[in-house]
Amino acid sequence: MTAQAFFIGFFGLASVWFGIVVFRTYSMMRSAIALLFSQTALGAMFLSMQAEFLGVLQIMMMATEMSIMAIFMVMFMMDPGGLGEMDMTHQKRLSLIAGFVSFVGAVAVAVFVDWGPVATTFPDAAQQTVDLGLELLDRSMLIFETAGITILTAMIAATAVAIQPVKKETGKK
Amino acid sequence: MNTLVILFFLLLGAYFVAVLENWISKGRFQLSAPLYAAVAFLGRESFIPRKPDQIFYEVGPVLLLLSAVLAAAVIPLTPDLIITDLATGALFINAALVYVLVALLMAGWGPDGAYAMIGGWRFLGQLIAYAMLIVMPITAVAMRAESLLTTQIVTSQLSLWNIAYQPLGFALFFVASMALAFLPPFNMMIAKGELAGGVEAEYSGMRLGIFRLGRLVLIVTLAAATVIFYLGGWQGFYLFGFELPPWAWSTVKILIVTMAMLLIGRYMPRIRETHLLSWCWMIGIPLALLNIFVVGVLVLEFP
Repeated sequence: MTAQAFFIGFFGLASVWFGIVVFRTYSMMRSAIALLFSQTALGAMFLSMQAEFLGVLQIMMMATEMSIMAIFMVMFMMDPGGLGEMDMTHQKRLSLIAGFVSFVGAVAVAVFVDWGPVATTFPDAAQQTVDLGLELLDRSMLIFETAGITILTAMIAATAVAIQPVKKETGKK
Repeated sequence: MNTLVILFFLLLGAYFVAVLENWISKGRFQLSAPLYAAVAFLGRESFIPRKPDQIFYEVGPVLLLLSAVLAAAVIPLTPDLIITDLATGALFINAALVYVLVALLMAGWGPDGAYAMIGGWRFLGQLIAYAMLIVMPITAVAMRAESLLTTQIVTSQLSLWNIAYQPLGFALFFVASMALAFLPPFNMMIAKGELAGGVEAEYSGMRLGIFRLGRLVLIVTLAAATVIFYLGGWQGFYLFGFELPPWAWSTVKILIVTMAMLLIGRYMPRIRETHLLSWCWMIGIPLALLNIFVVGVLVLEFP
């Protein structure tokens, strides 16, 4: 139990630290990879909490997603290497206040919500995977399908908006 | 103990892949060549680019090796010879191998060189092409086994190996795993004739040695994954009245798959990642969906 608590704490702190690193660097690539490792540490936290499927899924999905985010960040920033004098931070006061308020909110939720008794028995990893599959294709199917279709629509819409219309050459010069 | 045995197996496998690659691509069969090359890598000076992203530059090759070794942790060579039989094994192989991409991006970005960086981004394009063709065939394999446990997947092929049960999935997975291991013809990111070596261009000495070792281990891991997903893993049959032990069957099959991968690459022109992208998304993914459908029907009718 103590080892479990230690690892949950360790990966939690690692996740927070990499989250801080995201904003401490001016290199877009470092920023993206730091966010990736922050998410990977979250996945490791899931693993420490014996939610194996969720942990492995988190670790897998985030690597691709953050890498794709990295290339977009590199493409759209004017100084992706962070070697120039560009300052990426803005609206510092507002973001400080917003960050503090949401931190207090999250802590308040964690402390004051009645989470019920701590589970003493839980199914083994293989059974968890089966249960999760049944849950996804049974009770929660509609929710997940709706979310999936919404994301797909958003992606197609974003791509369609981003494509510059090609002007066809008309007439001969 | 199992960990040590598997690590030794991977190292030995990497050695054989190096010998085979030399033999197939250059026509020279030299058992000692990889050893000399390794010693040379260790002894040579490691040039460091002028303004590297130090962390990425150092971590890239190590992460490549690490992700290949991690993926091998859930691959059973015999019923007992497995580092950890995770309940999500088939997914875990995938999760570990995605970090090959992260490693190549880091190694490409780190040295602050244009060739290396473009090489790294090319692999990102390649990932978007092959990734679905790794996941969807594995889905069909897991459907038949009704489990993500890799040992369970092997035992599910007792009556008929998956290569015969779902040949379409095998073909897709085989091609996709070649792209994952950036073997020729999918080696636009490290080929010598392209971008002066691409991701490898700025590495030298021991760091290049680790990068190359990581790539060799990755090839072994993917061949082993192909064997457990499609070729019945350690299961064998009577051969001329003799029965080989399970580890020998695994080894023989892994060597055959490796040779097939290398041989196919020898006779193909390099494929640009843009072409790969359009082929994979327009032909590969519909085929993979068809495979899932066919396997679904087969599983219901002839389990």
